[in-house]
Amino acid sequence: MRNVIISDATLRDGSHALSHQLTKGQIAAYAQAADAAGVPIVEVGHGNGLGASSLQVGLSLLDDREMLQTARENLSRSRLGIHVIPGFATINNDLRFAFDYGVDVVRVASHCTEADITERHISFTREQGKEAYGVLMMSHMAPKEVLLDEALKMQSYGAEAVIIMDSAGAYLPTDVMDRVGHLARSLKIPVGFHAHNNLGMAVANSVAAVEAGARIIDGASRGLGAGAGNAQMEVVVAVFERLQIKTGIDLYKALDAADIVEKSIMASIPYISSVSLVSGLSGVFSGFSKHVTLAAIEYGVDPRDIFFELGARKVVGGQEDKIVEVAMELKDRRERG
Amino acid sequence: MEKLLREMIAADCQEVVGSSPEALDKLRNRLLYVTGGTGFVGTWIAEMVCYLNQVHGFGTGLILLARDLDTFRKKAPHLVRCPEIRLVGSDVRDVIDLPSEVDYVIHAAATPDNRQHMTNPISVMDTITRGTATILDAAANLPHLAKILNVSSGQVYGRQSLAGTAITEDTVGEIPVNSITSVYPGAKRYAETLCSAYWSSRKLPIVTARPFAFMGPYQSLDKPWAINNFIRDALTDNAIRILSDGKAVRSYMYPSDMAYWLLRMLVDGGSGMAYNLGSPYGISLREVAEKVKEFSGMASEVLVRGMHEDNSVFVPDPGLVSASLKLEVKVDIDQTLKRSLRWFRETVKR
Repeated sequence: MRNVIISDATLRDGSHALSHQLTKGQIAAYAQAADAAGVPIVEVGHGNGLGASSLQVGLSLLDDREMLQTARENLSRSRLGIHVIPGFATINNDLRFAFDYGVDVVRVASHCTEADITERHISFTREQGKEAYGVLMMSHMAPKEVLLDEALKMQSYGAEAVIIMDSAGAYLPTDVMDRVGHLARSLKIPVGFHAHNNLGMAVANSVAAVEAGARIIDGASRGLGAGAGNAQMEVVVAVFERLQIKTGIDLYKALDAADIVEKSIMASIPYISSVSLVSGLSGVFSGFSKHVTLAAIEYGVDPRDIFFELGARKVVGGQEDKIVEVAMELKDRRERG
Repeated sequence: MEKLLREMIAADCQEVVGSSPEALDKLRNRLLYVTGGTGFVGTWIAEMVCYLNQVHGFGTGLILLARDLDTFRKKAPHLVRCPEIRLVGSDVRDVIDLPSEVDYVIHAAATPDNRQHMTNPISVMDTITRGTATILDAAANLPHLAKILNVSSGQVYGRQSLAGTAITEDTVGEIPVNSITSVYPGAKRYAETLCSAYWSSRKLPIVTARPFAFMGPYQSLDKPWAINNFIRDALTDNAIRILSDGKAVRSYMYPSDMAYWLLRMLVDGGSGMAYNLGSPYGISLREVAEKVKEFSGMASEVLVRGMHEDNSVFVPDPGLVSASLKLEVKVDIDQTLKRSLRWFRETVKR
């Protein structure tokens, strides 16, 4: 039987779905439930990670310290994880205090071609004796050879795993097999996979990732996450049980945790909206959905056109200001005929 | 540096030189020039020369070339005060001439830090390739040149089969040319070949050392290497984590042995020869972690995650250095770890 580590992104990627308005009560209740289920890693924070709360990408209701403290107080078995994008999060202002709040696992992320920027954050994490994972976001934008090159950099910096993110939900299972397999055969550290469900493939892609050699799979209860959501964690756990892939998670308790998300956290169940589907097809970051929808309304343009134009321009997370720029240009183009 | 640490290093030098300093007599009243002079290798060469001068009256002069002298001044102020040591601040690629009095050259300018190899691959390759050519050209003009020691790397052996045998100097392994991981070993192979070309065409007396792995004073615990992480985690009372099954076998040489071997290779190594530089005593990573835990006295757990199998063996065969230079390891793995822990405890305290 194969072993896979499940990393739970409900309270981090799920924050996108709530416009980063998670409350202390929600964090406490879900963390307790995930801990009881034996989820190995529970990520907490703003959707874009530590230090990201801002007008541009969305202001959090709670600051990072409140979120981490609340989660820490309610986790005993599960390790506390954070998502860190260098630039949003600095070592001295953000990462250092995160360790004071008991963070165990730091997932240091960059765009899939920019692993160089993760060196100091990964090194600092290892120097504190904590676990550091490298994360390559928007991985569909680079061929597998480039992904390996970037992953090797993270490995050399001391990363103890490399997670490739399908941030746009653009992959089909064959894409996942090809990329994860290439990395798993070539790296000395475990490979992980983070799915989004824009094309309805999140769980199937997670299975494909494990078949190709992934040892870490991200999921979120009820799929709570940016855009069409993540791989639905309780479904992943159940499917893995059928496939004799061991996660160490108690399925009934994972279902209880998912019920808490449905009843007490999410405003609506994630589904593949037209906008999310187009996000996946155009290969644009799922977290842009709310921004695109708002810009489309404000400028009276079709959100699907915005997504395809953003995809053509290869816009990535952190370039949210491009959404308005594209919406304005589309409006201008239409008015000029 | 505190007296305790200086005494510790002096005792280390005494141990390896023993009562037979005459093995290094060729260095008496000679002048050494070391590139990469303030790095791990250069600092230990300086410690050894300082010891030979102070205890055995060698009168050996030493010029240390490096880009960053300020860090060295803070790290080893006692060496800066040593009257026979002179510091020169320059990039090795910018060297035009060496002082005409120089007798021996040790070329050690290159970082083994694989993070640098990945982040600045072009600069790393350029420093190794152009730096080596620059130093060889400059050395070729020296009127009294006795020997050049090119400090290469055990990584030139490339990927090894999993046969588990120790690596001899004539082992040839694959180095994929289209991978970022080949930046350092590829450049080091080129540098060795360049040395062979200078030896052949310009008759320069060049010997090559191929270092494996080391642990001891002046190492940096922030390096992303297994043993460094084990010690750092033990000293900070964090769990020691091994991702693999812990079966990979490595060997670790204490730096006083390293410095002595390097000086012996410099004075007695055969021109045109390459020698392994490292301990021949292999040990699994799991055993290293267990020893670090035991010797540190910390409560740290050793967590073997077993996420993948690793049966790799990277251990030098000692046959050639033993037969031709009569070199042997004086500091075993237990002492290497105990002394390292003591050093890092003291330096962290400071």
